[in-house]
Amino acid sequence: MGTATNISQIDEGLRSELQKKGIFVSSLEDLYNWGRRSSIWPLQFGLACCAIEMIATACARYDIDRFGAGLFRPSPRQADLMIVAGTVTKKMAPQVVRLYNQMAEPKYCITMGACSISGGPFKDGYNVLKGIDRYIPVDVHLPGCPPRPEALLHGLMKLQQKIDSQEIEKTAWYQKGLKREFPVPEFGPNGLNPPYNPEVFTPEQHREITVG
Amino acid sequence: MFGLGVLKGMLVTFKNFILSYFTKERLTTVQYPEERIPEKERFRNFPFLIYDDKPEDLRCVSCDICAKECPPKCITIVRDKDEQGRPLKRPKVFDIDFTICMNCGICEEVCPFDAIFMDHEFELAEFGRFEDLNYHKEDLLKSAEYFAKIRPSDAARIDAKRREKTAKAQTETQTQNPGTGPTK
Repeated sequence: MGTATNISQIDEGLRSELQKKGIFVSSLEDLYNWGRRSSIWPLQFGLACCAIEMIATACARYDIDRFGAGLFRPSPRQADLMIVAGTVTKKMAPQVVRLYNQMAEPKYCITMGACSISGGPFKDGYNVLKGIDRYIPVDVHLPGCPPRPEALLHGLMKLQQKIDSQEIEKTAWYQKGLKREFPVPEFGPNGLNPPYNPEVFTPEQHREITVG
Repeated sequence: MFGLGVLKGMLVTFKNFILSYFTKERLTTVQYPEERIPEKERFRNFPFLIYDDKPEDLRCVSCDICAKECPPKCITIVRDKDEQGRPLKRPKVFDIDFTICMNCGICEEVCPFDAIFMDHEFELAEFGRFEDLNYHKEDLLKSAEYFAKIRPSDAARIDAKRREKTAKAQTETQTQNPGTGPTK
């Protein structure tokens, strides 16, 4: 799923004209997406320092609840959004993937901070996963180390844009026979096995690097 | 007594809750997309490249010091060459991978040409990872006026330093070959 645009079936001019006369026109899809994007419940878990910023976002000054995403659920069964906030170590990665598998469709994922996107400063280390998108599909990438609370709100608004652009008939979770189960990696003596899930991740091509 | 601290804390919360209906300063929430907290000058997020007049002549001479000093190694620089293959004092490729950058500001500290500075821009969330968050030279370029706007005291200090440097260089060329006069 690439870059999303807000597609509406109703002509914007007609809608605003009718709104002036006190008639509100909406399609079922708009209503459905409005409901969904206004109540994204995140999963309550944090892995490192980015979680502190996530907690700050939930507090009174930034108040993520204004976007309907303030109800942090302790159970993956009740959550729609997974904010991977912090360094995903190789020992923690299987648990993160398992939590994502346990979440009910439709589910979304925001990677918050450099560590969870790519490994960040620890990307050359032996113990840190080089990006959670090796195992689960990520909807919004949020760079920063850590991103400030407003940046998380901006990422959430970006996710709302994406939800707005989805159509009921085409969404994957209403198709027959959908079983989105991402294989949980196994933590062994040589790190994680398999190193990435080829369904969701293709390794980046080798970059040109200057020497000397 | 056990629980007294909790009660005290809740009292503060309750006081704020009641007073938020009467006074503005108890209303702490910033309505983010519409209103923002004024940014502190020393706030730093991601680096950007600075240019003086035109975007073509940027201050960076592609000396590669920032790329070497960068702790997570997120900067990639390729030096530009002219037709004969001689190296030029400008970068051909200047990429900063924002997915790796840890906002430490070491690139800004080590740059001897004052060409790279930390920005205040933070609304950078993207859907894609490799294409969207690998910032190229064109995306990183920002003008000196922008820098003076976001960080006025730093800009004043650095401009004074640069003026002093150019004046010193001019006097040196004058003493070395007298008679030629100050260049331009």
